[in-house]
Amino acid sequence: MYTWIPLGSSADLAQLASQIQSEYSPGVVAQNLASNLSNAVKAVLIERNYVDKDYRSTYYNFYAKKGQRYRPDCVRLHFFDETVIFEEETLRLRCTDNRLQDHYFGYMILRPTGIATIGRSVVSPDVRNGASGFIITAPHKVHLLGYQLFVEGFPSMDQHIDISVCAHAACWSILRHYSERYNVYREFLTHDITMMAQQFNPGGLVPSKGLQVSHAERVFQEAGTFPVHVARDINKPGDLAFYRQMIAYVESRFPLFAAMHNRGHAVAIVGYEWRTPATSGLPGLRYAWDEVKSLSVVDDSQLPYLSVPAQAGSAAYCALDIDAFIVALPEKIFYPADAVDRLAPALFKLGAVVGLPKQDETIIRYFITTGSALRRFVRGRESEFDPKLLQTIMTLPFAQFVWVVEFATEAQWAVGQIAARAVIDATASLREVMPLWLLHSRSEALVFDRQTVNLNLSTGIRALKLAGMGQTAFTRMDQNLRPTQTK
Amino acid sequence: MSETESTMDKKEDSIFDLIEGLTPVDPTQLTEFQQAMNDEVIPEIVRVVEERRLLAVESRNRQLKC
Repeated sequence: MYTWIPLGSSADLAQLASQIQSEYSPGVVAQNLASNLSNAVKAVLIERNYVDKDYRSTYYNFYAKKGQRYRPDCVRLHFFDETVIFEEETLRLRCTDNRLQDHYFGYMILRPTGIATIGRSVVSPDVRNGASGFIITAPHKVHLLGYQLFVEGFPSMDQHIDISVCAHAACWSILRHYSERYNVYREFLTHDITMMAQQFNPGGLVPSKGLQVSHAERVFQEAGTFPVHVARDINKPGDLAFYRQMIAYVESRFPLFAAMHNRGHAVAIVGYEWRTPATSGLPGLRYAWDEVKSLSVVDDSQLPYLSVPAQAGSAAYCALDIDAFIVALPEKIFYPADAVDRLAPALFKLGAVVGLPKQDETIIRYFITTGSALRRFVRGRESEFDPKLLQTIMTLPFAQFVWVVEFATEAQWAVGQIAARAVIDATASLREVMPLWLLHSRSEALVFDRQTVNLNLSTGIRALKLAGMGQTAFTRMDQNLRPTQTK
Repeated sequence: MSETESTMDKKEDSIFDLIEGLTPVDPTQLTEFQQAMNDEVIPEIVRVVEERRLLAVESRNRQLKC
């Protein structure tokens, strides 16, 4: 049932072909792994007769109805580093420091479907060749030989081709991440996703004829999220506000369902990498999107964490090919990213009061977070804040979600610092003149009473002089995406 | 008037009463921002959000298959 394959080099993965039956396409999988997994993977444990809930959902509802007989079970491959050994007689996994968890890189399920056999997989970005930057991950529990292991990653699978296409796979990946990351969302299996896309059971091979973006939207609605569908004019790739909000949501730890209509393809965007900071010396307002080198995507035709360049180049596609995305938001985010995108530069009109950097020397970054995450961030960096500002942030009655806008000079951006921060009420209405809770720099703050500010500006805003912060640095509020540590 | 009614009628504390060191802002310092919001930013936001809605309507029917 279990076979251990030590890997001297990636060429040793070819042994999979002799160890696994042909209906799992081990030869194709071995080639894929050899090209795309790093040399840090020094052993593969083959676990046969694995009951995979996702494959079983398609087996019961589709494969079992076919004339060709399909096996009900899968094969699961587990990836380890060089410190782990497998004792065949006792079925024990051993490592010198007894911390098996630290030497585990995840798993990949192979389906007995002959083609597109890579099923549910969670692999660490650290061992994916070419993966880089910050990735949205969740801990996934794995039970193996009586050991309970965790792998931090983003779920992925090949599309089934006949009953699911790329869009189903992207929806499944995102929703499986949600069910692992947030206990408010339930788990949906592969066949559930296919059914959720339609108002009725389309039967047979209809799903393989493709999906419209509206179907993907419907899947996220059915799953209990509040999907926001953002599209750009497909004839206008220069709609930078579209890309600015795309990165804002990813930075807010929301994986995106992204559509490329020119390719008829959909992927999940799960991370990004910043460009190496360099002094441009060019004047002009910039945004976080201008500093993005690449996006990390889960594409059902590749191993996960494919690095997609922001600009066109030699890659098969680039971020500019994306012309629509769906972000599956929780309820209570009413103020749209487009509004934040237009409001942020207008805040420079308050620059004289608060002390913002010069507009044409600033990089703007905006994202969604919760009021409690903002407070946690501030609490963890108390020394950066005047106690009065800290008291203000702890006291303001934030709604659950806030938009945060950060203002940084080029020099500050390079070292992960900012000059000023605005906190916007994510439940504000579009037509509010002051949808803010707070705007502060290192010397001044404006505090907004959301009860009264839109009725009477003079009674709804107060100033707060900040002291002792002239020399301190404000840290950029990163949202705990997992930095890739290439192995 | 009952005690409950009297409590309900009592004016709620402003958030400003709970934070130390706040001072009033000269309203003239806010005029430029307020005017920009009313004349340019809010109409632009409303226009862009509507435009984005229409683009989403078009996008919804596009086929994804590969």
